[in-house]
Amino acid sequence: MQNWNKMKNISGYIFKWIALLLLLLQVPGLSGQDTLRTFGPRIGMNLARFAYIFFDPSEIGAEFSVDMEVYRNLYPAVELGYSTLNESEGDFDYAMSGAFGRVGVDYNVLHQEDRSIHHSLTVGARYGMSVFSHRAVNVTIPSEYWGDFLLESYENTLTGHWIELVGAIKTELVPNLFMGWSLRYKILINPDMDPLFTPLIVPGYGRGTQERGIGFSYSVFYKIPLLKQ
Amino acid sequence: MEFTLIFTLHLPGRGISCFLHLHLSSLLAIGSAMKKGLAALFLIGTVASCVTREICDENNQSEMVAWFKTEADGAVSDTIFTTVSVYGTRSGEDFSIIYDSVSASRIVLPLDPNGVSTTFVIDFGSQADTLSIRHDTEYYLISYTCGFAALFTLEMIEHSGNVILGSEVINPVVDAELEQNEEHIWLYF
Repeated sequence: MQNWNKMKNISGYIFKWIALLLLLLQVPGLSGQDTLRTFGPRIGMNLARFAYIFFDPSEIGAEFSVDMEVYRNLYPAVELGYSTLNESEGDFDYAMSGAFGRVGVDYNVLHQEDRSIHHSLTVGARYGMSVFSHRAVNVTIPSEYWGDFLLESYENTLTGHWIELVGAIKTELVPNLFMGWSLRYKILINPDMDPLFTPLIVPGYGRGTQERGIGFSYSVFYKIPLLKQ
Repeated sequence: MEFTLIFTLHLPGRGISCFLHLHLSSLLAIGSAMKKGLAALFLIGTVASCVTREICDENNQSEMVAWFKTEADGAVSDTIFTTVSVYGTRSGEDFSIIYDSVSASRIVLPLDPNGVSTTFVIDFGSQADTLSIRHDTEYYLISYTCGFAALFTLEMIEHSGNVILGSEVINPVVDAELEQNEEHIWLYF
């Protein structure tokens, strides 16, 4: 519990400074003077992934996204990332590494008359896929009567598929710089992807032992301004 | 605006406890939103982490249930032996006793994950029989706290005929989740 409080304090400290920095970057009066709407690809990075370094050091990963308004309030999106895990669990050691991708579309339900305002509140969906390998070594099959059986190693390459329902908020802090978060409800399509044992983590999805899950992202975005109209 | 929400969720049964920590910090987008008379949009940043602490409350031993039966006029019924002793044997080595002169109509026997067959000696008081079960063995994960267990598929039963007259596989799948009144083989007398 002491480590919990320490980690909480560290994350709070970091986010306080991020918030202060972004507030200082705001230039009062500039945003909103331009009445034209800016179009271009918006590249994002999931900051919440880095929080895992403090809360679950055995898992390391990164996640990036690209979306773009191609039609009024409609944003197709692509998300890519990777994840690795090394963990010792009871009688065996477990390792996983792989990449994932999601494709989908968001719809902005925050309709504003002033089209130069780029804040958005979106709902959307994603299809996700992950290709990864996982490995367990020194697996012990316990038998109190006959004596334990040791399985030295097991390794398999898997493909996970899932769908997501996404709700998100993005706010333009300064021109073309956004911050936002999303909440995701995930459904794993193929939970029995490994006949011998279920993967601990499916990259991009979450716990492989759960057929349903809730996910969260907290990201910073930059929109490349290609067109104003 | 900043606050911290911490709660603990305890799930019974599998003994899973989950600690969810939310840290909220908010950024206020004032700019054009206020200028246009719209309510300010609050950007809420959250950091969520869920650390699960599973408690293993399951027995990961895979055990086979053998019922004692008699058959008369086509009807099968349970039977009880008043003095039953059982122990395992492997490659000429006798293992510790599992049942020691007990009264039983069923016996629960651990199968051996180290090989493709498991052999027991069942002593009914006056006479004894050897019971050998040939099985296919796979391994599956109960949970990351409980670890792995063996999944057996019974293929063949062999026995001497001093007391046991016959045998039958009722449910060939033997895993670590032993349910009440579960049965795998019948031994006929």
